[in-house]
Amino acid sequence: MNLSFRRLAIFAAILSCASIATAASQQLNLFIWSEYIEPQVVSDFEKKFDCKVVIDLYEDAESMLAKIQGGGVSLYDVVVPPDHMVPAMAKLNLLAPLNREHIPNFKNIEQTFLNPPYDSGNKFTVPYQWGTVGLFVRSAKGKTVPDSWSVIFDAKQQDGQFVLIDSVRDMVGAALKYKGYSLNSVNPKELKEVRDLIASAKQRSTGFDGSVGAKNKVMAKSARAAIVYSGEGVRGMTEDKETVYIIPKEGSQIWVDNLAILAQAPHKALAEEFVNYILDGKIGARISSFTQFASPNRAAMEFIKPEDLKNPAIYPSPAVKAKLEFLQDLGPKTRLYDEIWTQIKAK
Amino acid sequence: MSQSLTKPNRKTSLWPILSPALLWLIVFFVIPLTIIIAISFFSRGDYGEIQLPLTLENYKRLMGFGLLGFDSLYPAILWRSLVLGALTATVCVIAGLPLAFFIARLSPRWKNFALTLVVIPFWTNLLIRTYAWQILLSPESWLSRCAHTLTGGMSGESLYPSTFAVVVGMVCDFLPFLVLPLYASVEKIDWSLAEAASDLGANKLNVFRHAILPQIAAGLIAGTILVLLPAIGQFIIPDLLGGGKTVMLGNIIQQQFSQSRDWPFGSAICVVALTFVIMGLWVRAWCGEKPKELR
Amino acid sequence: MVRRKTEGVAMKQNSWRTTVIALLLFAFLYAPIAVVILYSFNEARFGTNWTGFTTKWYAALAQNSLALSASKNTLILALGSTSISTIFGTMLGYALDRFVFSGKRFLDRTLYLPIFIPDIVMAVALLLFYSLIRNWLGIFELGLKTMIIAHVTFQIPFVAIVVRARLSGLDPSLDEASRDLGANGWQTFWHVTFPLILPGILAGAMLAFTLSLDDFVVSFFTSGPGSTTLPIYIYSSVKRGVTPEINALSTLLVLASIIGTILLTLLQRKNSKQT
Repeated sequence: MNLSFRRLAIFAAILSCASIATAASQQLNLFIWSEYIEPQVVSDFEKKFDCKVVIDLYEDAESMLAKIQGGGVSLYDVVVPPDHMVPAMAKLNLLAPLNREHIPNFKNIEQTFLNPPYDSGNKFTVPYQWGTVGLFVRSAKGKTVPDSWSVIFDAKQQDGQFVLIDSVRDMVGAALKYKGYSLNSVNPKELKEVRDLIASAKQRSTGFDGSVGAKNKVMAKSARAAIVYSGEGVRGMTEDKETVYIIPKEGSQIWVDNLAILAQAPHKALAEEFVNYILDGKIGARISSFTQFASPNRAAMEFIKPEDLKNPAIYPSPAVKAKLEFLQDLGPKTRLYDEIWTQIKAK
Repeated sequence: MSQSLTKPNRKTSLWPILSPALLWLIVFFVIPLTIIIAISFFSRGDYGEIQLPLTLENYKRLMGFGLLGFDSLYPAILWRSLVLGALTATVCVIAGLPLAFFIARLSPRWKNFALTLVVIPFWTNLLIRTYAWQILLSPESWLSRCAHTLTGGMSGESLYPSTFAVVVGMVCDFLPFLVLPLYASVEKIDWSLAEAASDLGANKLNVFRHAILPQIAAGLIAGTILVLLPAIGQFIIPDLLGGGKTVMLGNIIQQQFSQSRDWPFGSAICVVALTFVIMGLWVRAWCGEKPKELR
Repeated sequence: MVRRKTEGVAMKQNSWRTTVIALLLFAFLYAPIAVVILYSFNEARFGTNWTGFTTKWYAALAQNSLALSASKNTLILALGSTSISTIFGTMLGYALDRFVFSGKRFLDRTLYLPIFIPDIVMAVALLLFYSLIRNWLGIFELGLKTMIIAHVTFQIPFVAIVVRARLSGLDPSLDEASRDLGANGWQTFWHVTFPLILPGILAGAMLAFTLSLDDFVVSFFTSGPGSTTLPIYIYSSVKRGVTPEINALSTLLVLASIIGTILLTLLQRKNSKQT
């Protein structure tokens, strides 16, 4: 009797362990923003390299970093951090240096995106997509949509519900630009001012959402305006003609997202193949056509639809570009942002 | 141990039975909690590392003395969590009392049916029941339109996201927790006491207060704590229905362990939440001491 | 209990007011469930406007490989954790009921802590614990295994308490009789006690299983690549505002729990009639 009971226990234990250990041998673990890669590109890669790609999603850069710090560094192979996050991740030894020899398609990268200030010599990263932060607004009949952050921050300009973006640097950056400050301000007085500004906007809003969620709320008509990334804005515009994506006149943020391989990536060789695959011109064009973000890939340009290349919402004009600013890593001062963000969220 | 022919010695055979679960709980529950308590005295590095020196800074911050000067923010959140928890429990009691009595008075056949109806939401995924309120309270839903007309059409105000939505969600999710233990004690009521009281000329309210309430007090307290404690520490419901506007304890803990990456501060909030729970359990044990079987 | 049926006190009858209140409360409890089922047939991709009847979201769901793998993970997690916690929890419940030992009262009380602790506290405690041990020993990579461990931890006390309640309701003379007839401890357990507490063990296992299916917070913090469960999938989809397929998925889950509950009630009724 005793024996059979024990056997039962052991059997149950083995059963539960065995069922877990049936993972494919070749696997790539990709940690990426939601709706940020064409599913078909992924399945083509799976076919070509006879492997399985496991995708986990995030909606904001800080949560991504938290997950990587909390154990993701040895679980995921490829991650897609935005520019300002790269120095911190490099300093925390979370990224593996890229072996350029295994990534021949690196040559496809547009000259202006090489050797960026956040990663000199492209030691850890290659650019994936770039874009801007702006407003996604459903236009009311007969009314012109003001091209200003005041849609969000000025109570008098409010016309219906709006959604804030659930990402500290993007949200605080928008408020700083509205006030005419730099996106990278570390002046406590300015930061306190925008903290109160965002906190009061929050009370009038429907809360915080990631870019994709915010876009969908405008699509669903449960909000009139939202802060989103350009790709979401353009995809929304294509689907619903009543909506527009606007880069506010006060200026905004321009960013570059990057492919990076994690320091303790379990499948480093496959990760390099993946990065190289993404940098292929045709593949890069397919991704950009899907995401509606801008491509930093020179070889992709000839495969991207001409109307996309001419679309100022995707590729802003030099005049608009002059008003855009990159985020920088603020080092120890990042704490100020984390603190006001916690306070904004808690208010 | 199986083949011993002598009478089983209770002392010796206890450990093989007790130790697996006990060890499991020590390793995966007691030690992690101890780690949380320890981490709450560490400092946060510039990029979210956990580092020395040991400090009381996290607790000070929780009391309101932060990086940018004094702010009553965190004390206010602690207070809000308690208030919303208590509000939820109160609404559940007000709603649960008639429901429990209603079920207890049904004929056995209907009683089983009604009990099953209470149990079904209890077995249904909380996440699903919670996000459904997003649909029910969205600006275009007829419920919102009714409310809109009733309140005289305040523009720009919506039912979701709001504190109201959070409380509605919590009451809906936790009501079965209260009704079930309460029903159990209503079932056991000795009605002759109520009869005697009303024969002696007590009015309805007095009969309830003096003859019925003492009999169901144990179930009521057990149920209230079953609602109160999960409500205070809720994360999903304020997250999905509060839209970042109604922030409770659980949300700032989550915030520290994700976006803000301040594990020591997050741990300090956990310690406070833990203290609330231990206090609640202490009250529960203290109240439940006498009528033990009623649990 | 049976005696008072004969009494005809007015307090024992439902007034129409109580009935109306009770019916409204039932409507309130079921409104969210009903709306999810209803909207799973709504044509609109975005928003809550009703644009027409469709079953296309169910068809889309069958093609959705993410939802399918999440279902698989959820089942592995629930079955794996329930089988471990049922065994350990039953042993713990048995020990707590049948043995007297020092510290028992304390253990008894502390057992409620894992039940009442906010799930987010438990989640981050385990996250911290795993990451410290990982840095030190290199084990506990986040994934299904760490999720199973986490689930077992919150399931054990529930199983123990349910089994214990069943045990304490048993007549102790049965044990004595068995011993007097010469059975040893194990034989008594296996032939006398076990069959009697089996309904309790099954009820505990059901509860543990449901708790595992229901859990989002603990899973979310202890999950790794590819170990997304249905609650995690539902949560992230809801956050992103893509709900029609999620409504269809939720409807299936709701139906599963309704059927499960009814089966369980019928089973219990049959059981209680037998004994």
